[in-house]
Formats: sequence, structure tokens, C-alpha cells
Amino acid sequence: MRILRSLVCLAFALLYTGPVLAQSASAIPRNETLIVENPEGTIKNAGWFNIWATNAGGQSTGLHQLAMDTFWYIDPDHGLDGVWDNSLASEPPIYNDDFTEMTVKLRPGIFWSDGVEFTSDDVVFTTDTHLATNGLVRSAQHQLNVEGIEAPDKYTVIYKLKAPNSRFHSLFTVRWNAAWIMPKHIFEGKDPLTFDFNPPVSLGAYTLHSYDPNGQWFTWQKREDWERTTLARFGEPGPKYVTYLDPGPPDKRVIAQLNHDLDVIHDTSPEGVFSLVKDSPTSKGWFPGFPYGHPDPTLPQVIFNHQNTKFQDRDVRWALALALDIKAISMASYRGAATLSAIAVPPTGTAPEYYHKPMLEWLNAFELDTGKQTIKPYDATIGTQIAEMLRPSVGDQIPSEPDAITAAFGTGWWKQDQQAAAELLERAGYTRQGNDWYMPDGQRFSISVMVEGEARPVMTRAGSMIAEQWRRFGIDATTDSAQAAFLTRRNGGDFETAISWSVETWGGHPDLSFFLDSWHSQFVKPAGEVQTPRNWSRWSNPDLDKIIEQIRAISFDDPQGVELGKEFVKLAVEEMPIIPLMSYNVFTMTDDTYWTGYPTAEDPYTNPVPNWANSRYMMVRLQAAE
Amino acid sequence: MRNYGIYVVKRFGLFVLVVFVGISLTFLITHLTPIDPVEQMIASMTAFGDTSPEAVEMMRAALRELYGVEGNLFEQYLNYWRRMLVLDFGPSLSAFPTPVSVLIGRALPWTIGLLVSCTLISWTLGNLLGGLSGYYRDNRALGALGVVAMAFHPVPYYIIAFILLLLFGFLWPILPISGGAGQNVAPGLTFEYLSGVFRHAILPALSIILVGVGGWFLGMRALVSNIVTEDYVAYAELAGVSRRRILVSYVMRNALVPQVTGLAMSLGGIFTGAIIVEQVFGYPGLGRLLVGAVYSADYSLVLGVTAISIIAVAGAVFLIDILYPLFDPRMQLS
Repeated sequence: MRILRSLVCLAFALLYTGPVLAQSASAIPRNETLIVENPEGTIKNAGWFNIWATNAGGQSTGLHQLAMDTFWYIDPDHGLDGVWDNSLASEPPIYNDDFTEMTVKLRPGIFWSDGVEFTSDDVVFTTDTHLATNGLVRSAQHQLNVEGIEAPDKYTVIYKLKAPNSRFHSLFTVRWNAAWIMPKHIFEGKDPLTFDFNPPVSLGAYTLHSYDPNGQWFTWQKREDWERTTLARFGEPGPKYVTYLDPGPPDKRVIAQLNHDLDVIHDTSPEGVFSLVKDSPTSKGWFPGFPYGHPDPTLPQVIFNHQNTKFQDRDVRWALALALDIKAISMASYRGAATLSAIAVPPTGTAPEYYHKPMLEWLNAFELDTGKQTIKPYDATIGTQIAEMLRPSVGDQIPSEPDAITAAFGTGWWKQDQQAAAELLERAGYTRQGNDWYMPDGQRFSISVMVEGEARPVMTRAGSMIAEQWRRFGIDATTDSAQAAFLTRRNGGDFETAISWSVETWGGHPDLSFFLDSWHSQFVKPAGEVQTPRNWSRWSNPDLDKIIEQIRAISFDDPQGVELGKEFVKLAVEEMPIIPLMSYNVFTMTDDTYWTGYPTAEDPYTNPVPNWANSRYMMVRLQAAE
Repeated sequence: MRNYGIYVVKRFGLFVLVVFVGISLTFLITHLTPIDPVEQMIASMTAFGDTSPEAVEMMRAALRELYGVEGNLFEQYLNYWRRMLVLDFGPSLSAFPTPVSVLIGRALPWTIGLLVSCTLISWTLGNLLGGLSGYYRDNRALGALGVVAMAFHPVPYYIIAFILLLLFGFLWPILPISGGAGQNVAPGLTFEYLSGVFRHAILPALSIILVGVGGWFLGMRALVSNIVTEDYVAYAELAGVSRRRILVSYVMRNALVPQVTGLAMSLGGIFTGAIIVEQVFGYPGLGRLLVGAVYSADYSLVLGVTAISIIAVAGAVFLIDILYPLFDPRMQLS
């Protein structure tokens, strides 16, 4: 019995000393530290900082946000001083007339964290290393494009290109990341594939302070000479330390923020957001109320496999779109917190100003001939309908201003019209027996909707709802949860339809070439071969090719680019090669307990989603709360 | 003795066969999954960046060469065994070019530290309390412990893990809920670091111990309940041997024989880690490493972890098989 008594005493002692034991065991002051989620999770080989080598270590551990730099940044939102930022370059790229040369003027007075000045030598070394080495992340892009590089002086480099390329600068322009510049004085004489670059020499405003050998956290410290970095143009970064960590699955991220141990959640579930909004007055999302999440410049969609005969008829694709109730899909996926887009451009950043709003008139007037009637399928009030649907349960979290509703829920979507959908299918040779649809060859019309499964629950729920709605319409639709095989199967064309995305934009800049160039038919692979990014639907269309070729021939900032972008949008509406759904809303939640000044929809100076390299701009606007 | 020698050789042959079949099956299963590590890598590299289709084609070719995943399945299988014979698991594909052995070596101490201590603690506590409970059947406190053990034993340990996480991480946040050690504390033999390791291990350890103790408790109680009805125990009681001595020398000692077998099996099985507990608590052990490897189609790492596990379990069984006849004269070597 003495043993039992001892055990009970030990248990009580443990519980009473718990609060003491639980105090943060950090060697740096919490009120000087910004703690951010790294969505890469735990990094297997934490001591590897050579970001140029293929996937050797973590990227968004703070490495590419705080320690790396390159020529230009395009903000996915509005930017601190416009969406375009000349970072290591002092001005935008200078092309010759036929786009076979690109000159870059470098910013003087920038230093690596070990005191060595950044010059054209570093740029030339970076390019030469990539030209000479296979297997680096950007080797192929350099080798495909660059004939050679010259450095007339310390602050000028001239790229000689193998062929005209009006978008070559995008290799050095950060959307999420880009080709980072290497420190020549560190890498010289090293094998760039096997050198671990530990500790990393930084070109950013922070340098590595410490890291967990097991890869769970990485802490960066503000450089004493932060004024000698490109970020200094916008002021001094607020946090002295920034820790990127793996807080675990969504529920634990919420718990960590409720305990004020995690200042920025990268992403959590809609339900997690609702818990934070309810229980944590200091937690905030991108929007002040519903839908909270930050719309990324990425467009989740129904991807049709155009090499499957079922989806080669435009009428069938349109019928499948009209069979859907987007309100139910929004509720199933994001619990209503979705920003919808009927067109093949994500409704984020500056895209609504360039595409969604200017094209509203055309969309409202767009007509579809079903063979028996002509309909106007666009409904500009869908966003308002969703807002009103949610208002009774969510109350004042739902915006009431029309512009705010549009920003939150999108400019509209297609009306569900099962009659028109049926007429389109009939015109395509399909027949209906009872409520069941049969294909022209007499086979039951079945569709498999491939989803990722537990790794991406919101998109999986969207796919399940889409399959259910097609079933209700009389199609034998099933959900196919591919789990970890999703990417391999999507890229290999081993699917009928998939919930994923083939459209990603710069966000802040209207140029669509970021994704659109890869949609040219020259890149479409035969069935059975692996498709290169991003045209997963393998759609080819001569009119699309013309648009892409015209975009290639003009400069990045040419206003004609937006007009050509609109032509693409119209073509994609008419042909419905994919069914656009919504932006990829990232439920980034920030906590004001220690830091204030995060970007929001009301002050969209940059992307708050912390794994984007652009999130470095957040550092100069953050201020200690006390 | 000659019989014993033949017996050991046969058992060793069985051990080799189990290891060979197990590792071959694991190789086949990992390579027959529809996940291509090169495509996974390309997908993650191109997920956000501006990558032209031609560049991806070049990248794909470069990665296939770099990862050594060229050649047909049989060639890869032969290469794998060639490397395995010198215990070289090759480079990790998801953490290229870091060797698999380095990654395993980094995770192994965490898993061994957590699971060996949990297994030994739960085995000792469970057997001690189970033995007492089986022998002192009229004791109400021990009877109540039996009820608690019965309640805990069928509950999966990951459910206990979630309950503990909610209790001590959310409702009463007194213990860390993620990681293996404190943030921004340099690893080393310092109080700060070691106390962090201890605190981070409390919840994962409790999840395993609470369930483990229940299992050992119930098993031991059943064994003791049987042994106390044996003639030699009754004879000892009639001879006036003290109850404590009967418990320790007559009852527990005999009841422990099958429990030691169970302990050896449990220790052999720790190499795959308490996978879900490590996931729930973000504990940096082998289980977590394995899950990450599966999701990233890192064949090399999956094979490395499972090979170690197969060898460990088969080795534990082999050791038990060859040691048993030396300790238990009732074993027949036929």
C-alpha cells in the first residue's frame, strides 16, 4: 500500500509543479519574438540551408522569407509601395527590342550578413553555377534560356538569351519564391549539390540565430546592419527575433494561438477559425469578419481530363457546370467562407480591378444556346445570396456593404439550371432514362471526381459535394480519394475529373503568363505521358494558342496584356475547359497579443500567409503590442 | 547440447528467412504504390514557382539520375539488396542528399528514449500492481485499480493522447503539446535542455503508459490468480512461509516468465515508434519520420525504417526462442 500512496503523492506533485514546468523554455524574450507557423512541418534535415539544391531542406523556415533576396518582387496583394518592388535590382528589367537581352541594374550598398558586399560577381556566379550544374532547382530554367552573362561593372549584369523571351525576368521575380542569388565568396569551390550552406550567410534583414536539429523550429535574429539590406528602404523590421515552427495539425495550431504561443497561423480549418473568433479577441483574419481567410492567387477548380472522350464536347462541360449549385459547394467546402470566381482568374489581389469587375457587363450579357433555348447563365447576386444565407447564423460577422460582400464572396457565379444542363446533354447525344443519364454509346454516364483526401479536407469536401450534385442530376458520379498519389495521378493524367488548380496568377500584377504560357498546345503530352505544369486538363485550342503567342510578343507591363487576358477569359467561359470555383482561401490567423500591424483586407500591404517570401514585408510594419 | 545447437541453427535460418521476406515485401509494396517520388518532388518544386514546361522536362531527367531511380524494378531490387548487405540505405529522396542512416540516427534516440522507458515503466508498474491485485484479492484499493485498468486497457492510446492534449494543453495548459525539447534551447547536457526534454515527454509517455499499464496489469493478475491455486502455493502457506515471500518467490517469479516474453516482443516492436502518439505530439521520433516518408514517397526512408523494425522484431523473437530452453526446463527441443 505504501507503493500506491507514493504513486498518488507523485502524481499530485507532478500536477502542482506543472505550471512552473510549463513556462516557456525559450532562451530569447517572448515579447521580442514573432512566432510563425511553417506549413512545411518538421524539416527532416534541418541543418541544410542550401536552398538552391533540390529539396534538400526547408524553404519556408524563414530561409526564403528572411535570408534570401533577388532582383524583383511582385506582391500578391497591393504592396508597401505598389505591387512591383525593385529589390536587389534598382530598376525594372531592361530588354532589348527583340527580347534577346535583359539588363539588370543592381542596387549598390547591399551587404551579405558576413560583411561582404553584394555585387554583380554574385549574380554572374549564380548564373554560371546553374549553367554548369544539373539538378539545382533552377538549373533547367537557366540552361534553357541563358546563352551567357556579362558584368560590365559592379552593379550591372547583362543576360544574353538563347531565344526571345519577354518574360525571362520572371525567373528572378518573387511570387512565392524565385531564383535566389548565391554568395560567391561562400559557394566558390564547393559542390552546389552537396554543400549544406550551414550556417547560411544572409542577404536579408535577418540571420540565423538557432535551429532545432530535429527540424521543429528555426529562429532568426535581426541583423545589426539591417540598414544594409533591401528591406531597409521601408524602415526597420519590428521583431528582433522571428521563430518559424511546426505547431502540428490544425487543432493544435488553434490551441497554440489560444495560449498565445503562435502569433501567425499559416492555415487552419474553417472550424478552427470559428473557434478562434469565438474564444480569442486578439485573433484576427484577413477580413474583419466572414470569410476571414486570405484569398490566394490560386483557383481551385474542376479539372476535366480533355483526353477522356467524355469531356471533349463543350456542351457536356457546360452541362456539368450548370448542374452545380455553387452555394452548396461553398457551404460544404469552406462553410460559406469562399470567394467565388466564375472566370478562370482567381478573384484576388488586383485581379478584380483588372478582370472581374470590368468583365461583369460581358458576363451578365453572356448567352448560351442550349439547342432549345438561349439562356443568360451568369448570376451576379450569388455572393449576396450566400451572405444573406449566412447572416442568421453568423450575424454581424457578415459584411453588409455591397463592395465588401463582393470582396468577400466574389462577383458571382453560374446559376444552377438543370433544365438547360439536360438540353445541352441531349444535344451532345446523351439520353435520359428515368433520372439516369446514358452516353451516346449506350453506357451509363459515370464520372469519377478525384480528390486529395485528408491532406486537403476543404477541397475534398468540395469534390464530394460536386459528385453528389451530379448524382442528383442523374450521373453516376463517385468520389475517388487519391491521398498521397494525387499529384502523381493528376500529372500523369490518371483521372477523369479532379479538384485541384491549373490557374495561378501573380496576384498583384495582371499579366497572366505565369500560368497561361504553359497552356499552349505545344506542351500538351499524349495520353499516358506525364504532363508538365500547369495545364493538367491537357486542353488545347488554336484560339488559345494565338492569345498566348500574342502575349509572348509584348512586354510584361504592356496594357495590351490585360486585353489579351480578357480574351482568354472569354474563351475559357465559352469553352468551359475547367469549371472555376473559388480562390484558395488560406485561413491565416494573426494574434495581436505581442505584435500588431499585420496586413488585412483593409490594409492589404502584403500577403500575411507566412510561407510566401513576400511576407518579409510584414516585418517592417509589425510593432510590439506593449 | 547437440540438440540445442541444431535448434539454434534452425531458428537462425527462420530469422534470416523472415528478414528477407519482410524486407522484400516492403520493397515491393513501396515500389508498387502509384506515387512517384520524382513527380512528388517536381510537384512540390513547381507548386508555387514560375517553371516553364521545358524546364520541368529537364528537371525530371536530372532528378531521375540524381535519385538513382532509373532502371526496372528488378534492377532496383538487386541494387537495394547490394546496399542493404552493407547496411547502406542510400540517400533520402525527400531530404536529398542526406543519407537515410543519418535521418534514422537522428530520430532513433527519441523513439528509443520514449518507448523503452515507457515500456519498462508500464511493464514494471503493471506487473507489480497486477501481481499484488491477483494475490491480495480482498484489497479494495487494488480492486478499484483493476476496474481502472479494465477501463483504460481497451482504449487506443491515441485516444488517450488526444484527451491528455485537451486536458493539459488546452483546458489546463501546463505542459508542452508539441516537439521534443524547448524552443531556442541549444541541445546539450544542460538543465535547461534536459528539463525541456523531460517536460515534452510527459504527455506522450503518459498516453502510452496509461494504456500499457492496464494491459500488463490485467495479464499479470490473471496469471497470479491461476498460480495461487497451485498445490505448491497451498503447501507453502500451510508450511507457514510468510505471505510476502510466497508472493515474491513462488507466485510472481513464475508468473513473470510469459510477461518477460511479452516485454521482449514489445521492445522489439518499438522501432516503428508509437506512430500516432508521435504524430499527435509532434514528437521527433521514428514514427513521425516514417509517416512523413510515406507521404513524400521516400522509398529509401520507408525501407530504412521498416528494415530496422523487421530486423528488431525478428531478432527479439529469435533471442527469446534461443534463450527460453536455457531458462525453462519444461521446453522440449523437438
